[in-house]
Amino acid sequence: MAGHPRTKAICARFPRASQVFCERYGEVFNPKAQDFRLQKQKPALILANKHDRRVLETPAGYGIGGERNYYFSHMLNCLYDCRYCFLQGMYRSAHYVLFVNYEDFYSEIDGILENANGEPCWFFSGYDCDSLALEPVTAFAEQFLPFFASRPQARFELRTKSTQVRSLLSQEALPNAVVAFSFTPEEIHGTLEHKVPGIQRRIDSMRQLQHAGWSLGLRFDPLIYQPGYREHYRTLFQQVFSQLDATRLHSVSLGTFRLPRSYFRNILRLYPDEPLYAGSFAESGGMISYPEEQEREITGFCTAELLNHIPESLLFPCAVAA
Amino acid sequence: MINLVVALPAEARPLIKHYGLHDKQTHAAFPLHRNEDMALVICGPGKASAAAAVAWLQGLTPANRRDAWLNIGIAGHATHDIGTGVLVNRITDHASKRSWYPPQVHDLDMTTGSLRTVDTPENDYPGDTLYDMEASGYYPAACRSSTGELVQCFKITSDNRQQSTAGVSAKLCTRLLGEQLEPIDRLVRALEKMQLEYNSLHTPHPDHERLAGQWRFTVSQQHQLARLLQRWTALAPGQAAWSRELEKKKTAAEVLHCLSQQLNALA
Repeated sequence: MAGHPRTKAICARFPRASQVFCERYGEVFNPKAQDFRLQKQKPALILANKHDRRVLETPAGYGIGGERNYYFSHMLNCLYDCRYCFLQGMYRSAHYVLFVNYEDFYSEIDGILENANGEPCWFFSGYDCDSLALEPVTAFAEQFLPFFASRPQARFELRTKSTQVRSLLSQEALPNAVVAFSFTPEEIHGTLEHKVPGIQRRIDSMRQLQHAGWSLGLRFDPLIYQPGYREHYRTLFQQVFSQLDATRLHSVSLGTFRLPRSYFRNILRLYPDEPLYAGSFAESGGMISYPEEQEREITGFCTAELLNHIPESLLFPCAVAA
Repeated sequence: MINLVVALPAEARPLIKHYGLHDKQTHAAFPLHRNEDMALVICGPGKASAAAAVAWLQGLTPANRRDAWLNIGIAGHATHDIGTGVLVNRITDHASKRSWYPPQVHDLDMTTGSLRTVDTPENDYPGDTLYDMEASGYYPAACRSSTGELVQCFKITSDNRQQSTAGVSAKLCTRLLGEQLEPIDRLVRALEKMQLEYNSLHTPHPDHERLAGQWRFTVSQQHQLARLLQRWTALAPGQAAWSRELEKKKTAAEVLHCLSQQLNALA
């Protein structure tokens, strides 16, 4: 792994960084005596190989119209620090882990495509990390897009909150790729989405991509219930749809805030002072979410508002756990 | 509280003087020097002693407090100049080959490096790594009661291929530690700051003791009370949870219900 060209290139980008060698990334990433919140102040970058389980099936209910859905993560942990994010509850460490063996991911994806009998397969990136936030270091889009370009049977979603779209703008738009941007209203972005580029900057990136022919998605996930949410979401939708050509969007999805119970408890230990987690929640099937009535209310409202801007065929409510 | 773990009296002397650790416990299991904010334990050489001293000191610490820990001492290295101070980023136990990685989250602009803990003094120093005899006992033991970011290790090169362990005297140890007080101090301040930040998040609500003392709470209800007061701190920071309305309640269950309703109105 140390000799991998990608490892060498990344190390060359940071000549003054201390390098610490380990046998397996889990030695650094997995120990219990770590505090995600403290580490988030100065996370390290761990370069590793992913040996197995590189491409996994998505949970039931997750998808944007395809029958065969998979997800993969070239990276663990995210540059951004969104307070609602499940990553802070799932991982003990806030260090970034970058799997440099992209070629093994390619092989696994090819294996799935081979077994799919010619049927389209969706591959989602951006589950354990932001797909583009560290693009200058990872070159993830730069290298995976040409791979997917030559596999028309595959469909590829890059989910992001980033404005690092240079790699995409320097390539021909892929007909089988969707670049999906996540949004919350300004009031939530300002208090909960630390280090994330502003809403308008993301919209500007989307406009550039749309102009260049890229298929775009909008992800309003998680929906956060708070006083004044109706006006907040109405304003957000207006801001987004007034600047994008909705007729050329691929999909729009939404889903309410929800977390597995164990993640919720971990996050509570990390952020006991966070008002988001001090609200009243319901628990069902091991998941913490808003009470059913609140979920129905906010989902219903946002769905109705979105349908003022897009046809129903573009809307995919997310009915699955984080 | 920050706990310094040091193997030898000669290493401890400059730290005791610098930090004014004048309160010495002479009849304790391990020599212990302290002031209000810092404790220094002299564990003796070897990883077993280091682990034992940490465990003993942990026994003196309140269970709900996360202290910072710092092992300071001399170490050997093949090529480092004598007196080089290093913040350790990897500790390997030579016997078991197990490794630990103290998170490097403090912005300190220090030389960093790896450390190998051996059972007998090393005079060959293979590889680009420091050699000591305590860290692999100290580190996992300290992590049992704290978080890795608050558990650190700082070593000062006392011997190398040009100047072996035979030349390491008590006088040299004291001098080398004394010359590294500035970076040690920076590390201590950084640990103290982070420890305060960490513990301030986990301090019980100011009204907790009063509420818990006024009514009879079952264990389960105590957990519920703690959670409600945690929510209170997040939703109404600085506001008292105690109120006239609560005072009128007759049972713990009524108190919990009342607090819950007040919180739901705030949320």
